[in-house]
Amino acid sequence: MMVGKQQPAPPVCRQTREKMQDYLDQTLPKRESLAVFLHVRECGECHGHLAALQVLFEGLDHMPPVAAPDDFDARVLAAVPYETYLAMAPLRSPRVPVLLEHDSLPTWARSRSVRIVGLIAAAAALAAAATGVAAGAAAWTVAAVGCLPELSVRLQSLSRRVYVATVHRSIPR
Amino acid sequence: MFDRNEDLKLVRRCKRGEEAAFAELLGRYRNAVYGLCFRMTRRAEDARDLAQEVFIKVFSLLDRFDETYAFSSWIFRIATNHCIDHLRRNRLRFLSLDGFTGPDGEPMEMPLPDDGPGPDRLLERSEAMERLEEVVADLPPHYKVIILLRHDQDLSYEDIAVVLDLPLGTVKARIHRARAMIQQMLQARSYEI
Repeated sequence: MMVGKQQPAPPVCRQTREKMQDYLDQTLPKRESLAVFLHVRECGECHGHLAALQVLFEGLDHMPPVAAPDDFDARVLAAVPYETYLAMAPLRSPRVPVLLEHDSLPTWARSRSVRIVGLIAAAAALAAAATGVAAGAAAWTVAAVGCLPELSVRLQSLSRRVYVATVHRSIPR
Repeated sequence: MFDRNEDLKLVRRCKRGEEAAFAELLGRYRNAVYGLCFRMTRRAEDARDLAQEVFIKVFSLLDRFDETYAFSSWIFRIATNHCIDHLRRNRLRFLSLDGFTGPDGEPMEMPLPDDGPGPDRLLERSEAMERLEEVVADLPPHYKVIILLRHDQDLSYEDIAVVLDLPLGTVKARIHRARAMIQQMLQARSYEI
């Protein structure tokens, strides 16, 4: 007596089925996507496979939403008093070399108004030099001194970011 | 799904000390984080505690958040790690639904969700959806989380790779495997969806 044995799927069907999830995820290159579409149109078995997968995708995409309990926010906010959070800021921030700490620059250099005035003075000096109103060397000196506070703050900030990005693991596990 | 720029603005406001900004962030991610925790554990009480711990962790580590990443990836990363750790710590509780006994040999309460979605909501769900949820819940944690991030949270493969700190190829392979497992489990249980 002959025992019926299931024939393995032809290679084109196997390849198509391997690509079906990417096809439904829309991550398949256009040409391959078209090949899947055309094959499925012709092949009943593969059409069935795709249909089953499509039903699964739709089901997974539409699982009923789960909402947090009503008192959830209040519980979280009560669990971490904000004052404590703020008071602990120095402990949380990543440790960097002293020169990269904000405080290592004098307060006046970090002041926004000093930095803005400095930049305006630098721009004015450069404009004066360009129009011949002021002597070149003097104007360049004023421009350099004017830019100094802003440049120091920017350079420190950039160095700190580079240091933190390379030395600290930014994402906790 | 989540607006990266809006999130970043809120994070910066939080760092500047605005409590209202944290409350807003909490509001934006409350259901997503709680939903992930609930679907990972299937226990409302555990989900509430886990989600709360996730937000407290986010809150206390906010200064270390690297703005080159999306905030959503960061919070989901903390949440998934937290849930998987929890399942690992408590895996004995989830070994079997049948004949589960304590150390004294006495039958113990089955670890089914006790006060999860109420009866009204359960009634509203279609049977098919319940079956599908049951199968997803029975997936091993690493497969379950990837299915939830992809389908429930609507994250892209790339975002999932960031969240799980895995190569993109591994993420794709794991999602494909997880879906195949779901199909096999549905078939084995003669469930139709």
